[in-house]
Amino acid sequence: MKLIWGGCESREAAYLAGADRLGARDRAALEAHAMTCVECADALRNGRPVDAALRSAFAPLRERRTIIAPGRVRLAVAPRSLPVSPWLRVPRIFSRLIEASVMVSVTLFAVGSSLESSTVQAPPMTPTHSVVQDYFRAQPPIDELNYFRWLRLVKTDVSPTVSDSVHLPAGGRFDGDQVEIVKERTAPF
Amino acid sequence: MKIKRDAAGADTRTDHELVYAARDGETAAFDALFYKYRDGIFRLGLAITKDPSSAEEIVVDTFARAHRALARLEPDSSLRPWLYRVAVNLSYNRRPRKGVVLSSLDDAVDEALANEDGSPSYQAEQAELRRLVLGAVEELGPKHRLVVVLHYLNGLNLAEIAEVMDCPVGTVKSRLHYALRRLRTHLAAHPELGIEPRRPLIATPLRARKPVTAPVPIEGE
Repeated sequence: MKLIWGGCESREAAYLAGADRLGARDRAALEAHAMTCVECADALRNGRPVDAALRSAFAPLRERRTIIAPGRVRLAVAPRSLPVSPWLRVPRIFSRLIEASVMVSVTLFAVGSSLESSTVQAPPMTPTHSVVQDYFRAQPPIDELNYFRWLRLVKTDVSPTVSDSVHLPAGGRFDGDQVEIVKERTAPF
Repeated sequence: MKIKRDAAGADTRTDHELVYAARDGETAAFDALFYKYRDGIFRLGLAITKDPSSAEEIVVDTFARAHRALARLEPDSSLRPWLYRVAVNLSYNRRPRKGVVLSSLDDAVDEALANEDGSPSYQAEQAELRRLVLGAVEELGPKHRLVVVLHYLNGLNLAEIAEVMDCPVGTVKSRLHYALRRLRTHLAAHPELGIEPRRPLIATPLRARKPVTAPVPIEGE
């Protein structure tokens, strides 16, 4: 059949494609041919349901819309960066150099101070030796109360003998027999 | 220059006039072209990429190329084939984004059907028929599927499709015929569509003389 009727396929497609109708003469010729060609007649007859099914299936998709604004296109075609004269870049480079130098100096200061603080030795936990304090410890107080306190102070471990505890006076008199303190008057240190 | 507008407020100038006006720096002319063709290009990109975000980017890229090419564009009557050709090339060159699950054409139709009236059973039946048809379309080869999409979705005629695909009109007709024949073979397996299966060539009687198609009235008669 195709040898007899050249271009059957394309004419059938054009016949079915409503948007691009065949001319009146071509259409009449195709219909006349379909009377003698069973294959073409079958294709034309059953092409219509396929055509209708496709139009129906694509109909909802033809309603899809987008809300893109033309501004997006303008953004896309806008020049990315304007050409800048090299002389206009000099102040910017200068300011960047200042920023960099400040950053480096601050960093060096911070690092240097942290290293210095780590190298300094910690102060000793024991108190420093005081000559004045030693002197006053060696001298007995003048008044009575402080004198007894001084005795208790110097009586600590340096004392070679053990003595009784000190009985403090009550009401102007000792509450017990007075004990003579037999203790050498030695320097505490 | 006074701009001609229709009742809906759209610019009624031809593409030729709009391109020349846009070339002269009239922003409104380019916007009119954009509003005129953005939905069609979006649908075309959606049909090919199956990704709405990619379809929107294709719209933007297509018009960006048109903007850059304004100086050398010489549309005879319609800019549509040129724009669609760019959109098709961009769609096929676009790689799918990582991590994006591409929906089928059928899913896009389901989204469009969300507001359709009708009983639920009717909607379900129609959705099933559409699913069958669009599934058969997706099984076509890329060239044949593109012809079907351009014709049935975007409404391009055969000459415009030929211009978009950069091939002779006869090739488009042949591809459309082949696509319809393949679709018929696929869809004949579903009797609810009312499509008869193809008869084998060996069974075609040569003596069939009686007309088997209803004559179509010729225009002008």
